[in-house]
Amino acid sequence: MTRPAARVLAIAALLALALPALGQVHPLSPDKAFLFSAKALDAQTVEARFTIADGYYLYRDKIRFAIDPASGALLTPALPAGKIKQDEFFGRVETYRGSVTVNLAVRNFTPGKPLVIHAESQGCADVGICYPPTTQTATVALPAGSIVPSAPEAPKKTWFN
Amino acid sequence: MAPQLRSRVAIGAAALLALGAGIGLALFDRAPADASALLALTLPDPSGHPQPLSQWQGKVLVVNFWATWCGPCREEMPDLVRAQKEYGAKGLQIVGIAADDADKVQQFAKEIQLNYPALIGGYAAIDLSKDLGNSLVALPFTLVVDRQGKVAYTHLGPVKPDKLRDVITKLL
Repeated sequence: MTRPAARVLAIAALLALALPALGQVHPLSPDKAFLFSAKALDAQTVEARFTIADGYYLYRDKIRFAIDPASGALLTPALPAGKIKQDEFFGRVETYRGSVTVNLAVRNFTPGKPLVIHAESQGCADVGICYPPTTQTATVALPAGSIVPSAPEAPKKTWFN
Repeated sequence: MAPQLRSRVAIGAAALLALGAGIGLALFDRAPADASALLALTLPDPSGHPQPLSQWQGKVLVVNFWATWCGPCREEMPDLVRAQKEYGAKGLQIVGIAADDADKVQQFAKEIQLNYPALIGGYAAIDLSKDLGNSLVALPFTLVVDRQGKVAYTHLGPVKPDKLRDVITKLL
């Protein structure tokens, strides 16, 4: 084996040994583990998303949304189904990994004004720790102007139909 | 392997190990100076009776911050029950502080036949643990206070039973 090749292999082997140990002792803060973001889809719909880091999971029934100012109203549809896990103490529990997205309907809100969305979430890390509920906020500018029709879009034509 | 390379690899390995150990110590096992703020606390037990933590001063005190909604917390508690059974007579006192509702705590305590006090701290209790080395404010978080009231050990995440035994037996 040539010397550079041996060196690369030796370093790779050491990293392979060292990395799991580092991963275990470096849990993320909850706002990084369960990163919340939001964007306006139209004048009355906001897409809310949690981007969940690898090795972390959120509890479905602990997710809550609220808006500021409170003069507006927020309709939160049912969250998508999570992965069902049988918990010894709580019974059937649904969790999310990867990401979860939900479209929030905003009512009685003046378009063109910034809307502050508060998202509460709670989850755990596979390394064996859980976080208390965390609230994150995102500001969204809802587009001013005409209200987008709420009727569902007609299915787009594709080459095979 | 050439001698020069061998020494470089050795230095690299030592550096990586030191880095790993350093991060481990910094995040998981950092022990702040003393536990006086913690020992000055009075928290209700599940029946609502106030329990000052100072009543256990002079014992080797293991304080475990937990909650029923925290799976890893529940999983490690049978180990704590065993430790209390084994070392209680020698002067060990384990106390759980739950960021939870009294009824849930009571229900779970009964289920695992908890043999040490479970006090109700609410979310404020987790905030308190932040000053004691729990910088991420996560659960479970365990700290060991020696007979003099000094924090001897802190750990975020489930404590390995062997590690806990090591720490406790040195202090008893």
